[in-house]
Amino acid sequence: MKQIAAPKGWAQLLLTPPATPWAALRSVLAAGPAATMQTLIDAGLRGRGGGGFLTGEKWRITATSDAEVKYAVANGYESDPAVFTNRLLLEKNAQAVVEGLAAAALAVGAREAFIAVRAEYTEAIRALEAIVHNAERDGVLGANVLGSGRELYMSVRPLQGSSMIGEETVLLKALAGKRGQPEQTPPYPSTVGYLGKPTVVNNVATLAAVTWIISNGAAAFKQIGDPAEPGTALVQISGSLTNAGVMEVPTGTPLAEIAAAAGGPAKGATIKALLIGGPSGGFVPANLLASTPYSGGGLATVGAHIGSGALLAIDQSVAIPELAAMLTRWCADEACGKTIPCRIGTRRLAEIGQRFVDGLAGPQDVQKLHALAADVADSALCAHERLTPSPLLTGMRYFEREFVPAGVAAEKSGAVVGRSE
Amino acid sequence: MAGLMERPSGNLAPSESAVTSEGLATQQAAESQALEQLLSTRSPQRPQRTPTFYVEIDGKQLEAFEGQTILEVCRANGIEVPTLCYDPKLPGFGACRMCVVDVEGCDAPLISCSAKAEPATVIATQTDRLREIRRTNLELIFSDHNAYCLPPCQNKCPSHIDIPGFLKANAESQFRESARIFKRTIPFPSILGRVCPAPCEDHCRRDEVDEAIAIRDSHRYAGDQVLKSMWDENIDPPLPFELQPKTGKRVAVIGSGPAGASAAFYLLVAGHDVTIFEKDPEPGGMLRYGIPQYRLPKIEVLDGEYQSITRLGGRFECGKMLGRDFTTADLKAQGYDAVIVAIGCYDTNDLGIPGEEAEGVIDGLDYLHTAALGLEYPNHEGSRVVVVGGGYTSMDCARTSIRLGAKEVTLVYRRDMKDMPAADEVHEMIEEGARAIFQAGPTRVIVDEKNRVTGLEFIRMQLGAPDASGRRRPEPAPGTEFIIECDRILKAIGQGPDMTWATIGADGVSATKNGRLKADAVTFQTGRDGVFGCGDVRNGATTVVASIADGRRCAYAADAYLQGLDLGEIRNRQTLAEPQPEFLSIVPFTGETKEPRLRLKALHADERKHDYIQYEIPYSKAEVMAESTRCLQCTCEAIGFCDLRRLGIEYGTTLKTLEKDHQNGAGFRSITENRWTGANHDYVRDDSHAFILREPSRCIDCGRCANVCAEVVGAACYDFMRTGFDTLVTTPLDMSLNESPCVSCGRCAETCPTGALMPKPRLLTKYEVDESRCILCGICVDACPYDALRSGFDFELAHTDRSEPMIDLIALAKIERTSEATFIRGESNWENTVAGRRHDPARALPVLPSNLRGK
Ligand SMILES: Cc1cc2nc3c(=O)[nH]c(=O)nc-3n(C[C@H](O)[C@H](O)[C@H](O)COP(=O)(O)O)c2cc1C
Ligand code: SF4
Ligand code: SF4
Ligand code: SF4
Ligand code: SF4
Ligand code: FES
Repeated sequence: MKQIAAPKGWAQLLLTPPATPWAALRSVLAAGPAATMQTLIDAGLRGRGGGGFLTGEKWRITATSDAEVKYAVANGYESDPAVFTNRLLLEKNAQAVVEGLAAAALAVGAREAFIAVRAEYTEAIRALEAIVHNAERDGVLGANVLGSGRELYMSVRPLQGSSMIGEETVLLKALAGKRGQPEQTPPYPSTVGYLGKPTVVNNVATLAAVTWIISNGAAAFKQIGDPAEPGTALVQISGSLTNAGVMEVPTGTPLAEIAAAAGGPAKGATIKALLIGGPSGGFVPANLLASTPYSGGGLATVGAHIGSGALLAIDQSVAIPELAAMLTRWCADEACGKTIPCRIGTRRLAEIGQRFVDGLAGPQDVQKLHALAADVADSALCAHERLTPSPLLTGMRYFEREFVPAGVAAEKSGAVVGRSE
Repeated sequence: MAGLMERPSGNLAPSESAVTSEGLATQQAAESQALEQLLSTRSPQRPQRTPTFYVEIDGKQLEAFEGQTILEVCRANGIEVPTLCYDPKLPGFGACRMCVVDVEGCDAPLISCSAKAEPATVIATQTDRLREIRRTNLELIFSDHNAYCLPPCQNKCPSHIDIPGFLKANAESQFRESARIFKRTIPFPSILGRVCPAPCEDHCRRDEVDEAIAIRDSHRYAGDQVLKSMWDENIDPPLPFELQPKTGKRVAVIGSGPAGASAAFYLLVAGHDVTIFEKDPEPGGMLRYGIPQYRLPKIEVLDGEYQSITRLGGRFECGKMLGRDFTTADLKAQGYDAVIVAIGCYDTNDLGIPGEEAEGVIDGLDYLHTAALGLEYPNHEGSRVVVVGGGYTSMDCARTSIRLGAKEVTLVYRRDMKDMPAADEVHEMIEEGARAIFQAGPTRVIVDEKNRVTGLEFIRMQLGAPDASGRRRPEPAPGTEFIIECDRILKAIGQGPDMTWATIGADGVSATKNGRLKADAVTFQTGRDGVFGCGDVRNGATTVVASIADGRRCAYAADAYLQGLDLGEIRNRQTLAEPQPEFLSIVPFTGETKEPRLRLKALHADERKHDYIQYEIPYSKAEVMAESTRCLQCTCEAIGFCDLRRLGIEYGTTLKTLEKDHQNGAGFRSITENRWTGANHDYVRDDSHAFILREPSRCIDCGRCANVCAEVVGAACYDFMRTGFDTLVTTPLDMSLNESPCVSCGRCAETCPTGALMPKPRLLTKYEVDESRCILCGICVDACPYDALRSGFDFELAHTDRSEPMIDLIALAKIERTSEATFIRGESNWENTVAGRRHDPARALPVLPSNLRGK
């Protein structure tokens, strides 16, 4: 969970606490909701939780709702296994998250806000609780926010359970003590959320970025990273690279540069691919690493996504079908079981994948897998099922030769060169 | 509504201070403004009808109200969008993903049960892609649906008899009821109890425990009880349905064999006037003149069973042959409203070898016919007979020859024994002293100088490539010829119908290219209006049971025709009523105790081989009850009410399908065509609760029960438990409902789209209400979820009894279900029949009989 120092010149915004606590909150109170949201839109800040929606726009939907009761929620559940970027953020810079959440609540008109955190993150919970407690004591939060006359009560909510709780509609139901299953969207939480009220849900890293933007200005933010989706992202680096840990990476940085910044391949390893986006992420083959930028748009073109921020380097010893089938099975097992394509479909995907591993795949299994993946994606309820086929699909796209039907032994060794398209 | 929105006039708020008139005016204006606000804020009713806007769905401009979901707009306008998890009482849940629709401008389909209709959107509910997605979802469900819609035995019975139903009645010693259930699909339980090859038994699931149920012998017993009481006490046989009032329509049935008799029976029950024409001196066709006495006693059984026709007023006109004595046109001219041609197959196929015309080469059917008439076949005694063929006719020829005193009987069949249609009779034939030779085909007849048969030369057959039926085609192996010396050759290699009549005054009636009567497989119409064809003349030589099934279905079609209904609808109805689902049978049955089948005892071969007496010794009452009790009752209580099955049929997934490509719209798709078969669940049935039967293997996790129980009832007995593939909607810790807060309201069973939750079938046939103790509190009336108890004028209680069997396909086919009638249509032409999907009750046609058809 250690932090990997980023190369010189890479902007670092998220992991250092703001110089003056509550300065950002004061600016928000001074500027008013409309101007705050405009600043975020000008900055081009997009959600860091995976969806990539423009944060300012999302707030505006909730802000313009004429409901009396609204909520703001920070999503620090961090559902993907072996990813600790949010934990590190909360331990190092809880202040920015709390301030960002307060800004969100004040901007949209919520009087209550929650920080949802994984129950195992005890240190983060302690840090958050201390900040919230002190803020209430000091009159920063509570009945009269910084003397503005506005009300804002904030609480830290440890949650525990399936990985699906990270999904926003599930998160809101979990907060309300209900069955942890996603709801059909639209309506999005921004109009129908916690207890049916408009609720703005943001990832904790998004909120930390909000605090930075308010303090440093939209223009400064816009200059960082990929202009289409500016800013930085916390990337969880693991696998066959020299260094493992969390690195703050400006968006748009080519994957090859990130791998180099993490010390390059581990001793004796040859990188075959990177798995980007966690268990439902996509494989990016070695030959595309230099040309693929780490950004939502860039990764989408190769079939991957930022997702949780996981980056797993895979060396030549790994058989892609085996890893892909294992990841798919993990996703299938984590499914909440609500929809048919998810409960049964993802499991069948895993079974087809496993047939390739076991050398039992039939000649039609490639076509079946594509057909099922498309049908599951098109009738999906949430991103979990929509993305679950990614490892198998990208695996087949770039490592076609490893997915051999029955009778032919799977090619397990040798750096397989992906087909570039 | 108008009154509600009117602004009250007059001085509403008494003002305390004196004011100027100008001040008063502004004050009044302010007040009325305040009032306006009060009216609109205090009663925040959602506008009921306004504002409205238009959306385009499947090419139609439809009015929609703000806040309506796309599904609601569709439903309100009679456009069917399939749903499984939607309950109209609750908001869209979004679990089944069946309700996907396309909205112009959206990249992915929308879930119509949740998506709100937006003004001016263009929506399509039935594109190829949507149907593909729905089909995938259904296939996924079926890949984890460890259940049987219909028992496999019932599937395999050509007439789809309710086998577990009549076995259950047998087990309760209700033999008359058992026979009645049987007669719903086949009028002659005793005849079939003797001559049916019992394909049902080959597929009995009891086989997985020990041995298949003796289904045939069991209905034979029930049928015989009915015959016995008819002969001894002159009690009419039970009628499967209520007899209908006379319609005044006249039907001529040509041919009194199984198909004709069965058609006649059902038409008589439906109230039509039926005359049956028969070319032979006595009715029965092959039953009388083909099947030997030792298998089917002609008087006690055949005549007895045929009385169920004459007792209903059916008339036989024997000695009248189609083509010789009359034509179909004559019958129409005589005022018959419909004609059913069921003349069977009487032309024996030729061997096609040299010497076939020699003296001593005999048509097997002629031979049986003579024997059945009780005539000696000249010189048969002491002769050496070779029978060629492997069907029932060949078997009857061989066994009759033994009974007629032939010295030596040899049956030769060109395929293997396991390919023989009559394989199960072979051992009995051999016991009686005949020989059987397999995999040999005749090549020429050996004759003496007077052209009399002295022998038959055969050649050995070896197996070649499989033919269309999947059996490997026999091919001669050169150099393996051998000769069997004999005096007589009986040809029994199959029969075809005699179609020569079709040219005489039978305009429009035509033959198929293999010489059979051309008639539709479902509507049974020939080329001529009002002339139907069924049985062997349409199918080629089949079995008695298949012909009877054909006759019954033909009767349905003819009945619909006589009522002036659209025969196109009949196609759908019949397919619905008689589905052939094929599901995985993976239930291990470890809990069942083994109780091997009770076999019928038979007379020893030496005693039976000289005689035409029936050689099987029927069951005793105790035996038949014991045997029937072995039945596992593999049936789904939800059949006919199951939305999953209905959609399965519509989308051609796993079940019998209406797709054109599949055997002319009546084909079926097997489990192997399900692309996603894989791991699946086998859950335990929970019948611990008094009213709710839970069968989790049939659960599709739609969540309806959980939502209804929690949101509508407030008990919250169920929820989604576990995660991933193993998710199941069940009670916490799978506890019995008895331990949950269940209030026995039955709402969950009512909403369940499948057979996973069912009102529990009660063992009692009827509840007795002790009226002397009833205080008419009416609590039972309120509590009963099924309206079984109702309050009358004076608040009396009425009780009902359950004499109808649970599974009643015909009644089910009758139920007017908006959805069933409208969903079913040809898969390929749905696009052109968008209008056809709008429900029009007038078009929802019943099958038969009309007493089940609400007036
Ligand atoms: C299966 C699944 C898991 C998710 N897990 C998380 C998570 O752990 N943390 C998170 O912030 N967002 C997660 N999301 C995304 C959230 O639904 C939501 O988009 C996000 O909290 C919105 O915040 P943002 O606008 O700041 O990105 C997940 C989504 C899905 C479909
Ligand atoms: S639940 Fe429906 S589909 Fe399943 S076995 Fe019963 S009738 Fe058939
Ligand atoms: S056990 Fe009963 S219901 Fe099941 S297949 Fe056998 S006879 Fe039919
Ligand atoms: S019968 Fe019981 S479990 Fe079913 S809805 Fe009613 S209370 Fe719930
Ligand atoms: S038991 Fe409940 S979840 Fe299962 S199919 Fe029936 S209603 Fe749906
Ligand atoms: S998802 Fe709409 S009806 Fe099931």
